[in-house]
Amino acid sequence: MQQLDNQEILMKLKSSKQFWDIKKKIKQGFNEQQKIGVNDIQKFAQSCEVEDQLIKLISHILKKSKKRETIKEDQIEFLNTSKVKWTELLFKNLDIVHQKTKNQEEDDTNTDSKLYIYDEKNLLAFLQTLKQQQSSSLYQNVQFQSNKLLNINIPLKSSQSILDKYQYLLLQEELQDEKINKIRKQIENEHLDIELEKIAQNFVPNGERCLLYLKYFEFDHQETVIQQNFAKLQKECLIQLFYDELLEIDGHEISEDTFYFVFQEQILTCLKCFIRDKTIKENIRIQFQNGLKKENTEFQLPVTGFFPFKNISKYVAPLCYLSTKIHIIYALFKEFFCRYFCFLHSISSESNSILSLCMQIEEIVSTRSPKLFHHLKVIGCDTLKLIIHQLVYCFIGDMDPPHILSIYDQIIGHDSLEILVILCVGFLNKYKPKLLLAKNGENIQQIFSELREDKFQELVQFAYKQ
Amino acid sequence: MQIKKLKWKTDFEKSVIIENFVNRGWIKSQEKEEDSTDWNVYWATVWNVRNIFNPKNGMRLNDQQIINHFPNHYELTRKDCMVKNLKRFKREQDKEIYEQQGWNFDFLPTTYVFPGEYSLFVEEFHRCPNQTWIVKPAARSQGKGIFLLRKIQQLKKISGTTVTSNMTQLNLASKENYVVSKYIDNPLLIGGKKFDLRMYVLVTNYKPLKVWIYNKGFGRFCNEQYTTDVAEIENMFVHLTNVAIQQYSDKYSQKHGGKYSIDALKFYVESAYGTESFQKMMDDIHNIILTSLKSVQAVIQNDKHCFEMYGYDILLDANLKPWLIEINASPSLTTTTPVDKNLKLNLINDVYNIVLPNDDFPDNEQKQQQINKVGGFSVLYDESQDLINRKAQKRQSVKIWK
Repeated sequence: MQQLDNQEILMKLKSSKQFWDIKKKIKQGFNEQQKIGVNDIQKFAQSCEVEDQLIKLISHILKKSKKRETIKEDQIEFLNTSKVKWTELLFKNLDIVHQKTKNQEEDDTNTDSKLYIYDEKNLLAFLQTLKQQQSSSLYQNVQFQSNKLLNINIPLKSSQSILDKYQYLLLQEELQDEKINKIRKQIENEHLDIELEKIAQNFVPNGERCLLYLKYFEFDHQETVIQQNFAKLQKECLIQLFYDELLEIDGHEISEDTFYFVFQEQILTCLKCFIRDKTIKENIRIQFQNGLKKENTEFQLPVTGFFPFKNISKYVAPLCYLSTKIHIIYALFKEFFCRYFCFLHSISSESNSILSLCMQIEEIVSTRSPKLFHHLKVIGCDTLKLIIHQLVYCFIGDMDPPHILSIYDQIIGHDSLEILVILCVGFLNKYKPKLLLAKNGENIQQIFSELREDKFQELVQFAYKQ
Repeated sequence: MQIKKLKWKTDFEKSVIIENFVNRGWIKSQEKEEDSTDWNVYWATVWNVRNIFNPKNGMRLNDQQIINHFPNHYELTRKDCMVKNLKRFKREQDKEIYEQQGWNFDFLPTTYVFPGEYSLFVEEFHRCPNQTWIVKPAARSQGKGIFLLRKIQQLKKISGTTVTSNMTQLNLASKENYVVSKYIDNPLLIGGKKFDLRMYVLVTNYKPLKVWIYNKGFGRFCNEQYTTDVAEIENMFVHLTNVAIQQYSDKYSQKHGGKYSIDALKFYVESAYGTESFQKMMDDIHNIILTSLKSVQAVIQNDKHCFEMYGYDILLDANLKPWLIEINASPSLTTTTPVDKNLKLNLINDVYNIVLPNDDFPDNEQKQQQINKVGGFSVLYDESQDLINRKAQKRQSVKIWK
């Protein structure tokens, strides 16, 4: 980890607007005073919270200077071997998909549409097969519950703590123009990520969302660099890869969506650049496929270190609303994926991983809606199977873009994907009356095939209803 | 209280019209003749309305009859008449006073009507050698007969004979007029594609003017990426947004029909350009609607039996400035997707709720009531209100889109 010396900290301080605001405040505090001692400055700083602001600023600089290492190995060895097995399975799927595309080229009438390496159902099915071979002494107090779909001992936060954390959302009201203007000014003036997180937790005006995200990811003064990097990637797209074909096929679904069809070409361009981007591997927070080279295979993993999967296009789509500039959309997508969405495909005990999120959802539903939980089990439709699509794809396609971006706000606001747990629980509670009347899988499909409109605030409200 | 069953008649076999009649329990007029008068509500073609109001036919509508067009609606909805009326209205107005009231005329691209204004066009054509022009038949619809023009010689398409740049007169092969406008070659693009906006406006009275605007319009997208490349100038899938044209593109989707809701557009413009940008844009669109209606207020025959629902076609340029393309008297009620059907079904339902509140002809007391919102329609302008209230209306109008 990189350590900064005092000189470097001072230089970074001087490049921050907030430092100069603090300095100005101190100067104004002493006006025309000729002799100012260190004690005078200290007393003044303590009295008007300048000291706190300076401490926060320095902590922020120190935090940012530490490069976050990509999580490659999980603390639970069993999950590491599972990840290897998963990657091997995906290599096999890749061969099958490649063969299918060859067959389609030879036979136009062959319209097999399963041209993807894996989807969320495959991932859940794999997670279901995981059985710990050895009991971990660390988690002996975790009860093994056979009625759950996923039975692995990993450290989980208490469900109540997650529910408590997001309870403030129930009190959110529509804001007056005056308050919205105040928030706008705050976003323009703030630089510290903890302050930006606070804003994101509460309310982000539509017109300022892009700026908030860019500031949070520290891109707000780097547009030229972003543009140049993107242009380089676009040049690399001139050389076709096999995965490009899969991305084009993946884009068909988004091209049918009434909110996203207009962005189809932009989405595809972003994804083609993404799978060629060598910086992903070092920036991604978790390595979710094992990047070992395979012998005797036509294709290796892309330079990103993972295979593209079904509906990857969905992660890009909502961000297309934020900017007219494709390089900005790409930069935001890359950051969101590397920080957050990668966890939704990771076999890991990390709190943001798909495994943890699924287990949290099962825990909450089984304890707060046991009747529903049991009923779904009896009719052969497990809780997780009902919500896995919404969970893995953050409700994109199920909610209108403004609501999706509210989810993204909360993800940034808490630097966590836990909001998805709340929304999935809310989703199940919303449809609980109909689900309890369902007698089989067909009935369940019928319920969700009807035209529906799920909204962010509505699902939050339902999450807390029992 | 007995619910009155009105008799309906329609020249359009469109589900959104008929379902609305049926859902209200109204009875279909049994008389088959085109000139039958045994109806209370008639959703007619413009030609049948013209016949009904033709003095030679001696037809007079009674107090229990209502019809969906004004007799001479074409003053607004024929492209050449619209241009003529707007130019006349502009000349008549004191620009300073009009602008003080917050209106402006800067929304119509430079336009000439052929054959009459051909020589004026030629002058301007030579003054702007790199300008692309768009040529449209004055009275046709669905993109028929439209083409882009870069060379005077292309006018052979409509004259039938060779046209040279030194000609001062143009003889058209057919009797119809054409309108030729400067092509807006920097349209606002979303996802790299051109689109225009379809907005629905209901006028229930011209004198005094009362205008309602519907909160659910949509953008109509081209299927191909926009380009100003001269090689693609004849590619209508790049330049013309009419669904009637785009539906023949390989990339046309039955699922969304190239239609992008105004709610989505609002969110996009607010997010990508700022909240105030959308409000300013809608303010400008309201200005277009009101100025165009005012321009024909003096000439439209304001028959009490009439109302009219217009389809306004608005193009946004890259600066979010709206331009008036045309106004349709009979906007398409064909539904291309489930979302489209829902929109148009509710649209017609709200129209009937306004013109026939409580499924009956309004009495004097009901006519006096100041209702500003019915379903998706909000009052955009009501001249019968005093001036102070009208100014307040203008400020309130952006709230329709919140």
